Amino acid sequence: MKKVLVLGACGNIGPFITPGLTGDYDLTLSDIVPHPDGTPTIDVDVTDYEQVRDAARGMDAIINLTVVRPDPVLSFRVNVRGALNTMKAAAELGIRKVLHTGPEQIRGARYDHEFDLDCPPHMPTTRYYFLTKHLSNEVCRSYAREHDITTVCFLFNLLGARPTEPIVGRDFPPYLIVWEDLVHACKLGLEVESLPENYQDFNLHSHLGQGKFSIDKARRMLGYEPLSPVEELYRRPTT
Amino acid sequence: MKVLITGATSELGRAIAGELATDRVLRLTDVVDGADLGEHEYIRADLRDAEAAASVVTGVDAVIHTCETPEAFEEEGSTREELLLDMATRGAHVFMSAAVEAGVRRVVCASTLEMFEAYPDDVYISELWKPLPSPGMGSFSKYLGEHTVREFARDYAITATSLRLGRLVREEDVTDEPADLMWVDIRDAAHAFRAALGRDASDDLRFGARWDVLHICADVPNAKYLIGEARKRIGYAPTRSFSANR
Repeated sequence: MKKVLVLGACGNIGPFITPGLTGDYDLTLSDIVPHPDGTPTIDVDVTDYEQVRDAARGMDAIINLTVVRPDPVLSFRVNVRGALNTMKAAAELGIRKVLHTGPEQIRGARYDHEFDLDCPPHMPTTRYYFLTKHLSNEVCRSYAREHDITTVCFLFNLLGARPTEPIVGRDFPPYLIVWEDLVHACKLGLEVESLPENYQDFNLHSHLGQGKFSIDKARRMLGYEPLSPVEELYRRPTT
Repeated sequence: MKVLITGATSELGRAIAGELATDRVLRLTDVVDGADLGEHEYIRADLRDAEAAASVVTGVDAVIHTCETPEAFEEEGSTREELLLDMATRGAHVFMSAAVEAGVRRVVCASTLEMFEAYPDDVYISELWKPLPSPGMGSFSKYLGEHTVREFARDYAITATSLRLGRLVREEDVTDEPADLMWVDIRDAAHAFRAALGRDASDDLRFGARWDVLHICADVPNAKYLIGEARKRIGYAPTRSFSANR
């Protein structure tokens, strides 16, 4: 069973996806805050290189879920330096797989255009969250290529539970991914053998109805497909 | 035109100041003491401090951001790598925020051609090639700094130009060394900053006009790093061609 370090395991994502990974991976959960349901974790501050390296020793992969959004200092420290520390530790320890995450907005605000591209250019703007996450991607890309670390970056926007009842009167937000699909994507990312240039970022979401937010690259390179047809719950009654 | 030069104690900063001293009013800034920089106005400031950044950009028409961090500058609790990263990214963000707030419309920043070093020598590298930066923070920080400045040109009505510089040397200092395809004489590089200051697209609605990236290298026969775009767009005209090294 592969040993995987999860950085930022107690935030907005970790507690919802790590239960789905524990059966297949030997997870070490880490964060600077306690886990919301009391699951044991280790203290790792991603801005401290030695802490990251020591926690990553003996691991086969690292999942970096750490993030700070609007803070003018911590967004750079956590998102950019944190990415550096993660990739640097992987390089030093010979870890060959990293999963990284970021907001789809680094590609530009909300895709309010009619196009369907696998990989449009990043346009993060000067906002702390988007710019620092863009810079973190560049850090990952550079280390991945230089040190032969297969690095998967998922770009999504909102996360949540899969709806269980029909939704009336509103659309499914673009780039929203439900927990089951993200767990599925993480497993695919942890298992993928190789990627072009060792680094790729992937649009990731659970709803295909809008027709212009392509996940074809994730399909092609990872084999990703939303597990259940979420759009079936977003049908406008016509009778 | 009053021009602010950051990283003014660096070799590059000094060369640019020397280039512009005859006909521009200069304000120089750096994080260390600059007492030996002559008669120009000098403000010691850490540009990651918003208040300090605001003080250095007030009243200037243009800024030249060298993205240079003195070797002598240290910060407790940070390695050199962490310091370079922070200065190049957060520092550029704080500094550029202050500059646009103060009404500065022209920005020229220094970047590096080293982001293309991974390519083999049997290709011609222009601005259209995809950067392949190595994570060594000396040059990688300039690449990340370039990205940070670029986003300000996207969000604000400023003209911003990134000059991706070759390896800075003085022609007379390297006459005995094997030729380096990335060399550029530091005086020619300084001239490129003068030339880039003349670019003004601040009122252009197109981001692609407000923001520009240009490669600055020596003019040598059979060059790997092409400088045609810099010639065409800002009138870059290097004069040192390292003929002794051929």
